[in-house]
Amino acid sequence: MPIITISRGSSSMGKAVAEKVAARLGYRLISREVLLDASSRFNVSEMKLEKAIHDAPGILERYRHSKQSYVAYIRSALMERIVDDNVVYHGLAGHLLLKGIPHVLKVRINADMERRIKIVMERDGIPAEEARLRIQEDDKQRRKWTHSLYDQDPWDSSLYDLSICIDKLSVDNAVEFICQAAETDGFQATERNRNKAADMAIACRVKAALVDDFPHVGVTCEYGNVLIYVRAKDSVAGKLTKKLNQIRETTDGIHHLETHAGVELPPDAV
Amino acid sequence: MSIIIISSDVREIEEMIAGKVAEEKGYGRLDRRIINDVAARHQVEPGRLIEALETTPSLFRKLSSRQWRYYLSCIEADVLERLLADNLVCWGLAAHLYVTDISHAMKIRVLAGKSSGLAKIAEERGISLQRAETYRDDEMARRKKWSLAAFNQDETDLSRYDLVISLDQIDPVETVRTITGASEYRKFQVMTYSMKCLTDLALAAKVHAVLLKSMADVKVQARDGSVVVSTRASTRQKRKKTETIKALAGQVDGVGYVEVHVKKNFLKETA
Repeated sequence: MPIITISRGSSSMGKAVAEKVAARLGYRLISREVLLDASSRFNVSEMKLEKAIHDAPGILERYRHSKQSYVAYIRSALMERIVDDNVVYHGLAGHLLLKGIPHVLKVRINADMERRIKIVMERDGIPAEEARLRIQEDDKQRRKWTHSLYDQDPWDSSLYDLSICIDKLSVDNAVEFICQAAETDGFQATERNRNKAADMAIACRVKAALVDDFPHVGVTCEYGNVLIYVRAKDSVAGKLTKKLNQIRETTDGIHHLETHAGVELPPDAV
Repeated sequence: MSIIIISSDVREIEEMIAGKVAEEKGYGRLDRRIINDVAARHQVEPGRLIEALETTPSLFRKLSSRQWRYYLSCIEADVLERLLADNLVCWGLAAHLYVTDISHAMKIRVLAGKSSGLAKIAEERGISLQRAETYRDDEMARRKKWSLAAFNQDETDLSRYDLVISLDQIDPVETVRTITGASEYRKFQVMTYSMKCLTDLALAAKVHAVLLKSMADVKVQARDGSVVVSTRASTRQKRKKTETIKALAGQVDGVGYVEVHVKKNFLKETA
């Protein structure tokens, strides 16, 4: 059975859709749990992680690479959660964090701006103009975040399998479409797809272990064979050898570990 | 009882899905086969209409901005008039960009998807996958530019559509089933008000096409047979232009009253 990610702008009824889809299909619903996992495993405050996945990196952060580290932690925590499939994830950036796994049904929920404003006004008790500015600021941050970390636009239709406008269509209609799509052959968790997800989880674990010291590292994994791509100058550092030995000992599922220095990152590297 | 408007980033896919939906629903088809009729009605060359749907104005193709807008307005007027007949599947005529705020018109975008779409392009053109990707990106950028120039709407914007389906992993059979199923929803059924909105839109488009034949820079709105035309003119031309607009618009079937709003054209004023 597939993994479903539901992405949306703020106040676009995405949460309601996700809850109903999970209930109907009997899937686990996850969102904030991923941040909690990452927070306890990597010893970073939940607030910092939330900020990392929500706000675009500032100028200083671009040099410190702290955001890359936090995103790598979140991605690793998310991968651990979804590796057993039958999951609906409605937290931020699921469609990007789970990129490369074939049986992920990537859904985008859009809502009309006026409807979003009404929801924020009712929820936060603020006037319409303030609600509009809040939504626009939130959308701007999402756009900047996606651009800076993935060089893509969150509104780019090619990122999703299904995009539903909750305007004329209701939440129940959207649930119907998603459940129907989830049953199609393309999203079934075959043995091959499951292996791919397991490999991706290992690659994410390795990346999370290295990213603090080597922010430009890229990792791929195929059937437990891990390839680590580092910059030429990083490969001579003793720190890397020490780290890799540590990873070999502590990370489950690794058959073989190899380092490639000064080589261009393959597109599927995490 | 509804209108289904289908667009895609790959023409062949648009035709294939729309054709199957029409067949499944037993609806009529509204596509580029009407171009000859439109051309005959407005006494223009059919090739020019197709060109207007595909390209933006260019000196090389001897297509001025004014001609281009006129050709597009002819297509728009004709399509909207035909859509009044209802129970239609429409594609290939850019209707997703000008059929706006009509609740019984369901707009669907079908994306070829990265893997299958690129493979198709590479096979058809005999090029590598990498070159096919560049080709498709360029094509998408070109269509986006065209849609913004022609109707001030970005055709790649997800929020313009009720449903966007990528064929990467959802197969065409499932896509057709989803579209036909969605068209049954109550929200997409014809209501007196939505029909009235479509009638107003069609009348405005008809008047717009008539006016664009002899002038540029006009905007038209219609409501229950009353038409409001907004344009620009210098103080000297204001009266004459108002009279011309009233005379031309008044001849269009269904127009009961014409109101003209003229803004000062500062460029012509200073010249």
